[in-house]
Amino acid sequence: MPVDPSANGGYLVAAYVVTAVILVGYALSLWRRAGKRG
Amino acid sequence: MGDFLRVAIAVAAKDLRVERRSKTALVSAMAFAALVLMIFNFARDAAALSREMLAPSALWITFAFSGVIALNRSFALEREHGALDGLLLAPVSRGALFFGKYLANLTFVLTVEAVALPLFVLFFGVDLSGALGGIVVTAILATAGFVAVGTVFAAMTVRTRFAELMLPLLVLPFLLPPVIGGVQITARLLAGRPMSEIAGWLRILALYDLVFVTLCLLLFPSLMDE
Amino acid sequence: MTSESLAARRTVARGLGVIALGLAGLAAVYVLALGHTPVERFQGLPQKIFYVHVPAAWSALLAFSLVGIAGALYLWLRDPRLDLFAESTAEAGLVFSVVMLTTGPLWGKPVWGTWWTWDARLTLTLMLFFLFLGYRALRGALQDPSERARFSAVVGILGMVLVPFVHLSVYLFRTLHPQPIVLKPSSPSLPWEMLRTLLLSVGVYTVLLFGFVMTRYGLGRLERAGGADDAG
Repeated sequence: MPVDPSANGGYLVAAYVVTAVILVGYALSLWRRAGKRG
Repeated sequence: MGDFLRVAIAVAAKDLRVERRSKTALVSAMAFAALVLMIFNFARDAAALSREMLAPSALWITFAFSGVIALNRSFALEREHGALDGLLLAPVSRGALFFGKYLANLTFVLTVEAVALPLFVLFFGVDLSGALGGIVVTAILATAGFVAVGTVFAAMTVRTRFAELMLPLLVLPFLLPPVIGGVQITARLLAGRPMSEIAGWLRILALYDLVFVTLCLLLFPSLMDE
Repeated sequence: MTSESLAARRTVARGLGVIALGLAGLAAVYVLALGHTPVERFQGLPQKIFYVHVPAAWSALLAFSLVGIAGALYLWLRDPRLDLFAESTAEAGLVFSVVMLTTGPLWGKPVWGTWWTWDARLTLTLMLFFLFLGYRALRGALQDPSERARFSAVVGILGMVLVPFVHLSVYLFRTLHPQPIVLKPSSPSLPWEMLRTLLLSVGVYTVLLFGFVMTRYGLGRLERAGGADDAG
């Protein structure tokens, strides 16, 4: 049964935000480690 | 081949002889198994979940956890007395060494399971008629596999600080297939289901054993390198 | 500054560049998925989580296989670079499995009504997560580099071989006990717009994996070279 296409957008946003946070966060941590080493 | 077996049996016999003298580890492991079974009986909503429904899971979790605990003592003796290097200096094949340790561990864990099974029957009011043979075969098959992996990991973690934590952490994922298979087969055996439903799971267990015992035998020597 | 640390520095820089490229690609995927891909009829908006969730699972599994293969090669060739490669790949794999494990429930709840399902893929990724953790924990607990490398290699190989067994067991478990939910994201009749978004996302995640591993590897080399510098 087709759902209302705009329903449950919150989960979508949450998932995309979490993914970005994790991936960018890890990238930043690597960058910081590189910076510390000069 | 003859040498290999001779060394393996010698190693296994030595381990088991030491065990037989003190018996501490064996008795503790058996007591542990009994306690786990007891907790299972009470860790349920008796109105919603009957003993029969919980039985296969209780048995296999008991087997799994008791097995892991038992594996902890595998190289503990060597570590305590610094005997590991002495063992390695002996001019024997590492593979035979592994196999001896493996046989000793297997015997040990199977002994604990042999004590747990009657307790299980008692505590869970299980009717084993016709199923006993199948359950014993399944227990041996499942145990043979995970003890191989556990022996390798015990050899590794004995050198680490938190060995008692490291070993379960590493070995539990490897318990998934034996436990899943074990529970599926036990549940069906107790329900009197036909052999055809069980054959597939038995094949998986057998394949698991073949693959992991062989792999562990091949990999163990690299652990003992210097 | 030795040539060793110079080379390592270059690897780190290149790795960071690849990561930047990957993150830019990720942004493109986001735009594509959110703005230019049709909304699935039966699941609605949350279905789009599929585009960040499935590639993460794929990357985690790929990383895990690479760790196992690198371990086997290390045992054969005893080249410490292989061990460093395995360490780096395991770290990246851990990151991707966290992505997978957080987006999975966010997808499951609105679409199937439950935060978690024990389907083969989620279960496998959870197990990979624990194996990655165990791998890290073991490495952290061992001081001698040769011992650490050998032991990790063995864990990696055993873990890699375990994957098909768990997959098979869980699959059989589920077909015999049909769960109310079955994840079927890769239905053969995936329309082109969805397929291309998915493929782009898989490509981007692979680039990110490559960049993460390269950077982490370079950092590892740098640390080892730095140690030699200080000692020398």
